[in-house]
Amino acid sequence: MGEVIVVTSGKGGVGKTTTTANLGTGLAMLGKRVVMVDTDIGLRNLDVVMGLENRIVYDLVDVVEGRCRLKQALIKDKRFENLFLLPANQTKDKTAVNRVQMQELTKKLKEDFEFVLIDCPAGIEMGFRNAIAGAEKALVVTTPEVAAVRDADRIIGLLEAEEMLPPRLIINRVRLDMVKKGDMMDIEDILDILAIDLIGVVPEDEYIIVSTNKGEPAVLEKHSRAGQAYQNISRRLLGEEVPIMDLEASGGLMARIKKLFGWG
Amino acid sequence: MSGVFQECFFVLEKEGLTSIPTRDNHTLLVKRTVRSGQRITYAGNIVIMGDVNPGGEVIAEGSVIVMGDLKGVVHAGSSGDEKAVVIAFRLKPIQLRIAGFITRSPDEGESRSDHPEIAHIQDGNVVIEKYHPGCEKI
Repeated sequence: MGEVIVVTSGKGGVGKTTTTANLGTGLAMLGKRVVMVDTDIGLRNLDVVMGLENRIVYDLVDVVEGRCRLKQALIKDKRFENLFLLPANQTKDKTAVNRVQMQELTKKLKEDFEFVLIDCPAGIEMGFRNAIAGAEKALVVTTPEVAAVRDADRIIGLLEAEEMLPPRLIINRVRLDMVKKGDMMDIEDILDILAIDLIGVVPEDEYIIVSTNKGEPAVLEKHSRAGQAYQNISRRLLGEEVPIMDLEASGGLMARIKKLFGWG
Repeated sequence: MSGVFQECFFVLEKEGLTSIPTRDNHTLLVKRTVRSGQRITYAGNIVIMGDVNPGGEVIAEGSVIVMGDLKGVVHAGSSGDEKAVVIAFRLKPIQLRIAGFITRSPDEGESRSDHPEIAHIQDGNVVIEKYHPGCEKI
């Protein structure tokens, strides 16, 4: 029996889909059998980020409404044999599925997969309710912005009301230079408010934009700082003890040389 | 109510054990943090064993005590009781109301309170001062 993990945030644009794509790929790289489910019906993105858009025949709504078998709708990743995607429908809306259907779907998926990652839509309405219906664990993604933290807090409150393990936090798009200048909330400030376990900190990385556009998750790129952070989170999901990455080590070659000589 | 909520009677000493539950001694114990979007309302006192985060609201007809950071909106004496008070380990509310009086945190800068404080009404103003255990205002 696999575990069902929902990736959620409340606020849009903080990196739920990027996180789902990278953790799914990261877990697959570690040899796990993984399926990612895009529940953002009407605004599907995960297939684009994974570079699998051209392979879609059936989608989540087709499965739920019985137009195809589950196996037919699952898209195998082009890089990993053990990684699958169940895409969202582009033409329907969030009312096309309900909680019970999602619970049945995730139940079926976890019989066959070690990890079922659910990409949750933004907001706290029906789409969110559906996405969390079948999940046992939750990862809350936030960025170091007051509005994103506020929404994460709201989401944690809603998750606490469900029968679920305590959610864990991913802080995305951290810019150490801004934190140092006091222009950005630091990790302590965020943990102080949200008071949940931190599973990872992902630095701001331009490569994410490149990778998203190319349909190649950043976790595949060894030199991407964000990619490394996602790989670390994947390992933590497997229960490994991986220290939180030293954000200081970021920067270009000069910064690294300076650091080497103790000038940085 | 069960689990994280618990109703209890705190009988004031001077009233003795014969007192009946009233707004003054009827108290709701909340054993968790009040998060953004959550609102706790009660026709009596409220004690929060946790924080009140920004975006959270606590509304009591009696007094409010927060055993943690109070960073949300709080309304004590919501049905007009001007004797109601608000006490918090760290009192940094977005907005604080007692009965019909409304105050808000200053727009510029964050006030750093590192000791428990009490808000109460004195001569028609909301006054916030350091909380001294056993003070007679309560």
